[in-house]
Amino acid sequence: MDILHQVLIDPFVQMGSQPDFLIQVLWEGFVGGVLYALIALGFVLIFKASGVFNFAQGIMVVFAALSLVGLHEAGVPGWLALILTIAVMGVLALAVEGLIMRHLVNQPDIILLMATIGLTFFLIGFGEFIFGGEPKVMITGELGLPTGSTAFEPPGLGRDGGPGLVILQHIDIAAAVIAILMVATLALFFNRTRIGRALRAVADDHQAALSVGISLNQIWVIVWFAAGIVALATGIMWGARSDVSFALEIIAFKALPVLILGGFTSVAGAIVGGLIIGIGEKLGEIYWGPLVGGGIESWLAYVIALIFLLFRPQGLFGEKIIERV
Amino acid sequence: MNVAAVRPIQPPEASPAAAPAPEVLLDVRNVSLSFGGVKAISNVSFDIHRGEIRAIIGPNGAGKTSMLNVVNGYYKPQEGEITFRGKTRRRMRPHEAAAQGIARTFQNVALFKGMTTLDNIMSGRSLKMRRGFFWQLLHYGPARAEEIEHRRKVEEIIDFLEIEHIRKTPAGRLPYGLQKRVELGRALAMEPDLLLLDEPMAGMNVEEKEDMCRFVLDVREHFGTTIALIEHDMGVVMDLSDRVVVLDHGVRIADGKPEEVRRNQDVIDAYLGVAH
Repeated sequence: MDILHQVLIDPFVQMGSQPDFLIQVLWEGFVGGVLYALIALGFVLIFKASGVFNFAQGIMVVFAALSLVGLHEAGVPGWLALILTIAVMGVLALAVEGLIMRHLVNQPDIILLMATIGLTFFLIGFGEFIFGGEPKVMITGELGLPTGSTAFEPPGLGRDGGPGLVILQHIDIAAAVIAILMVATLALFFNRTRIGRALRAVADDHQAALSVGISLNQIWVIVWFAAGIVALATGIMWGARSDVSFALEIIAFKALPVLILGGFTSVAGAIVGGLIIGIGEKLGEIYWGPLVGGGIESWLAYVIALIFLLFRPQGLFGEKIIERV
Repeated sequence: MNVAAVRPIQPPEASPAAAPAPEVLLDVRNVSLSFGGVKAISNVSFDIHRGEIRAIIGPNGAGKTSMLNVVNGYYKPQEGEITFRGKTRRRMRPHEAAAQGIARTFQNVALFKGMTTLDNIMSGRSLKMRRGFFWQLLHYGPARAEEIEHRRKVEEIIDFLEIEHIRKTPAGRLPYGLQKRVELGRALAMEPDLLLLDEPMAGMNVEEKEDMCRFVLDVREHFGTTIALIEHDMGVVMDLSDRVVVLDHGVRIADGKPEEVRRNQDVIDAYLGVAH
């Protein structure tokens, strides 16, 4: 009975007694969730257009961030480094299409997956060769991203009805705003434009897409470039929260539970999935974590995803899998 | 070019029965295609006149589908050339062929299975959508008007093929016969000059076959589309087509009117086999 009380009642009592702290936790979960959604979007983009799980998305995040910081270290001013990094992602997209995807048209998905794994290891080696392996600091200030924080003191939300305290980091606010803008743009892009429809067509059937006049090469360059831009934005935001190193790649795999939750093909799913995972793991860590000695943040996301998977294998918003036999 | 020079002598409005010099829409010259050491097509030539229904027939493995794939650019022939609407080319990418007015259907139905019938047919319009990207993003202004225009066109095709009732059904859920019809609809949405049909009646029951025959004839009548079709059902071929080219083991063994081809000894041998 005691353990049930600790699991089912205590955390909520705690939430109620300190609403300002709950708001703080929710806010941090929200920011984390929006950033997860951003990474997941990178995966969704490429999955929609080629039916392939892009294993290299994580390393693209690192590579983009490293290029940005590396260029700045080489003496390029911040804004120019940003433009040049975007150009680098463009070149990467062209190279991936020209050297890999083009030769694998109509191959089974597993072959394409293997190709992206190969790309991952290439980018790790290439990145280390050019920029070195040691962690770097994101050039937050040079990019004009805000630093510092604002403290609110909402009355009556603190402990025992006293004045509360909620601290919002400016970089978090900026991250949330930028992520929301990007997510909204991409969502519109998919659902409204001719290229969006072409993307879905390509994902469904290469041959048929070609026959109605869709250029696979063009579509692939566009999605890989878009995924590169998303990777860059993710790299900047995550890089500013920790530092820029190859360890960032691991964060990208947090997108996996998000994708499982949201469905691999749904932009809306990536957003909702990101928020569920982000907020869920923060709440879990703070209120339930102490029961098992903390540290549950690193695996809770996967458990949440697993539970969803049992009930909806196609994810919350994924396209139903229709198979004729 | 020489085609245009010949034509003015006989205006096309003059009685079609008087056989005016037919305009050659597609001309295939000495095409050879091999995969590694396997020769799929050897030195095949034929042409397709504007407005005709041209059948390509032959036993299994004769190279019919390969020929179709060469015409719309999936395969690149090692030798030979193809002239479409007076423009000669050695190689062409499939999406370029589509842009020039060649549409096709596939032997084993290649629909976008997750999309509805409507979206599938709509995807055939993708080359015709020209409005700016940002307008489409906002779903407003000229892009909206354009979308409505395309929708109208697509609804026309849906009416024409009598598939109103499955407008919103995901293509993957449809029975095979209807999938073939939706695929035809998608090709028609491209408003092609040349329509390539790869076994449009394969796997259909008699009733579905009759429907499909009617649609093929109606397509030509309604839209003036030139049609090249591969088919196994001899009855269908003889009824539908104006001229027939026969392939066997990648070689052209006959070319002519259906009744001529039917009497051709080589064709009979190829289909029935000869004692060696």
